[in-house]
Amino acid sequence: MRQPFQFTQSGHLNPALTDPASRTLHADKLTGRWLNTNRQTQGIAAINIEQDGEKFIVSVAGVGDDGHIEWPRTEARVLANLEEEAGQRAVALAAVFDFGFMRAETYLRVNKGVLVIVLFNTFRDDAGRSNYVNREFFYRQD
Amino acid sequence: MQFSQICDRVEAEAAGADPADVSALAGVWLNSNPDTNGIARMVLSEAGGKLVLQVYGVGPEGLIDWGTTDVNIFAASASSRSVTGFTCIYDFGFAETQLQAMILKGLIVLAQLHTFKDESRRVDYFVREYFALAHGRY
Repeated sequence: MRQPFQFTQSGHLNPALTDPASRTLHADKLTGRWLNTNRQTQGIAAINIEQDGEKFIVSVAGVGDDGHIEWPRTEARVLANLEEEAGQRAVALAAVFDFGFMRAETYLRVNKGVLVIVLFNTFRDDAGRSNYVNREFFYRQD
Repeated sequence: MQFSQICDRVEAEAAGADPADVSALAGVWLNSNPDTNGIARMVLSEAGGKLVLQVYGVGPEGLIDWGTTDVNIFAASASSRSVTGFTCIYDFGFAETQLQAMILKGLIVLAQLHTFKDESRRVDYFVREYFALAHGRY
């Protein structure tokens, strides 16, 4: 890639960024139903990722008092993943879940067969809670 | 109290107006990879109760100063006041870079979500990098 492109870091000039295939690389590694590796979690119990063409839809089941809390189904943004995870590089997803009283900004990626989600949770109510960050790990159910 | 997962809830006595403790994040953070093509250094400073970030990217001819921006801070849990993460957005016009950071085992793990807004047809991309606090000891 030559320099007519603007950049604020050399990574912006990575030749892989002009390859459209980078956008869908090994997307199948993310799709499916995923269960939390921690059965005692008080966070997310399960995640379902569906692909419809170039769209990815993420469904999340949070842990509630009397069962799961279904989060709003959300379309994720697909991002080429320039990390090299033992030669298993696959696309990453970014998704925002809006509950009104709170908002969860997340990114999801697969590392060695494990789905990792990182959540940045922001509260909009006045309950005195701290916004917080959380990370959880999932294995494929099927 | 509304919640989307049990860990969103806090006991009434844990909720309060204590100030957030950002001391774990303040300082100069250096990329653990000396050959990075991404971000070389981050400087996080406390200013007027806010946390301000300055980023230096790696360019072909030296570091590129991204300037400063306020960051959104995140604690380790809904009941904690210890800040262990932040998010922010740098808008460069031709591209937007969203940063999402959390401290893990003393390192900042920084996720970068790059979105191109120009006509270059570059694909949006994700990358993570690790940063260690320059502590001046040893």
